[in-house]
Amino acid sequence: MSTSSIAKIDRRYLYILLFIVVSIPLLSPLKLPIPLGEHAKRVFDKTESLTAGSVVIESFDYGPSTRPENYPQSKDHLFHARELGLKVVALAFWPSGAPIGEEALREVYGSDFPDIPEYGVTVVYLGYVPGAEVGMQTFADNCATAKGTDHYGTSLPSLPLMQEVQSAEDFDLWAEWASGTPGEQQVIQFVQGRHGGPSAVPIVVGATAVSVSGMMNFYISGQIYGILNGLAGAGEYEFMLNVKYGYPYEQGPSLDAQSLGHVLILAFIIVGNIGYLLTRSKGGKAK
Amino acid sequence: MIQDLFALIFGVTVTVFIYSFLWKENPLSRAVEHLFIGWAAVYTLASMYDAALTQGVWGAERIEGGNYIWIIPILISLMYFFFFTKKYFYLYRYPVSIVVGIMAGMMICGMIQSNFLVQIQSTARDLPLVGAGVWDWSGGSTGIIGLNSLIVIIGTITALTFFFFTWEHKGAFGVSTKIGRYFLMATFGAAYGSTVMARISLFIGRLRFLYETTYEEPTYLVNAWYIIPIAVICVIIMALWMRSKPEEKPPEPAPAPKPEKPKSKG
Repeated sequence: MSTSSIAKIDRRYLYILLFIVVSIPLLSPLKLPIPLGEHAKRVFDKTESLTAGSVVIESFDYGPSTRPENYPQSKDHLFHARELGLKVVALAFWPSGAPIGEEALREVYGSDFPDIPEYGVTVVYLGYVPGAEVGMQTFADNCATAKGTDHYGTSLPSLPLMQEVQSAEDFDLWAEWASGTPGEQQVIQFVQGRHGGPSAVPIVVGATAVSVSGMMNFYISGQIYGILNGLAGAGEYEFMLNVKYGYPYEQGPSLDAQSLGHVLILAFIIVGNIGYLLTRSKGGKAK
Repeated sequence: MIQDLFALIFGVTVTVFIYSFLWKENPLSRAVEHLFIGWAAVYTLASMYDAALTQGVWGAERIEGGNYIWIIPILISLMYFFFFTKKYFYLYRYPVSIVVGIMAGMMICGMIQSNFLVQIQSTARDLPLVGAGVWDWSGGSTGIIGLNSLIVIIGTITALTFFFFTWEHKGAFGVSTKIGRYFLMATFGAAYGSTVMARISLFIGRLRFLYETTYEEPTYLVNAWYIIPIAVICVIIMALWMRSKPEEKPPEPAPAPKPEKPKSKG
């Protein structure tokens, strides 16, 4: 293959190749080993360290466009919280996060949710809390001011769990499932910053892989306690749940597919660079 | 339920249609794009309307329960509609100024605290040249934490010098900008890697939907992938139709207006 033909490969062949390579492990899982990352382990350990009855916020701040990454993260963490006997206040600061949050709760607490005995006592779903950053800050200052009723129209003061929690200081962990604004940065600015810092409001984040590099400074400074990095983070978390609680490990084929996809893209980059360097060494104009 | 079957068929069809964009932009992919944007806009509007009513009107502590203070924010937000009148347009500026003022006030405090002060504090705290751990490069359990801080400080300063254009990038200053450029390239590389990872994750999510979703009834089972060939046939028919159509020429750009001649006096 000449150098000019490398540069002229139709991108559609690359798409087909990627489609085939990613499909193989999904149809026939390779069961590649999972190296557990420190970021996901810290989320797991932090959740494990909470005693039964501690109150956790589960904030579904994402939409359908990042669902493949954020949904398994949030669902796995909800399962973990339920398994440990933690009390859960779920909500969404994104309108599109509200139905997804409800779906995750139904999957973990049963299809009858919210018509379950523990509703209002150990789990509450507030649905969409309007106001974005302002709503977030108002909720952190006084939960009932930000939203008068839960997702199903029940007044918040009439729910026993909401009588226990008045503001952000009453929560033991803020689990933020985020893919944009408002997201983890707004929780840090408007909740954690105003309510005693990282020790008073510990935050764990499940984020899309694209945004994780931008939040590493908050992780290093301790403002974020742990991060689930995209689909890989969800897979790692699920693996830890599988080992400890026998939770179904569903993300294995996805991680295999992702590994193979990355190898292929690395190969594309190497081939592309070789083509570029060869074209340049022959005195041609590299495009 | 029949809605679930419809959702399955619809989901598979629009997924195939939207991915047909990778072959070439076509009316099917464009239709799905428009559908998505329209739906997202309507859903957001309906959610906001519902939230406004739940937030301000219904409930024991809201207008319904006699707490009339909630009328004030509702009236202020209704002033947004003066945007559509010429005569009272100035009233539209009041809600905008209130929102901008509140956001600016909130942002300034929050940003300075969390994005600026805490970041500097954390970098300085771990720096091996100050504090209790002077020259302790082990960094305790986390390894080379002091070295990390040094890299952060060097990277921040040199990257900032790269954007400093008052002096020519020569000599010692040029070395600094060059180092800064390498730091920026490393940052963009990391961001690119994360982006690839995220995009492949989304693709995997769609593929798993296509391969694994099923609709089950006692008498029959529909796998999502049954629908794929039908959707692909639709795309092929569209491709053939597009090929048979003569390609539309892009509209010619309008001629530039001729400069007006200066009026001669007298």
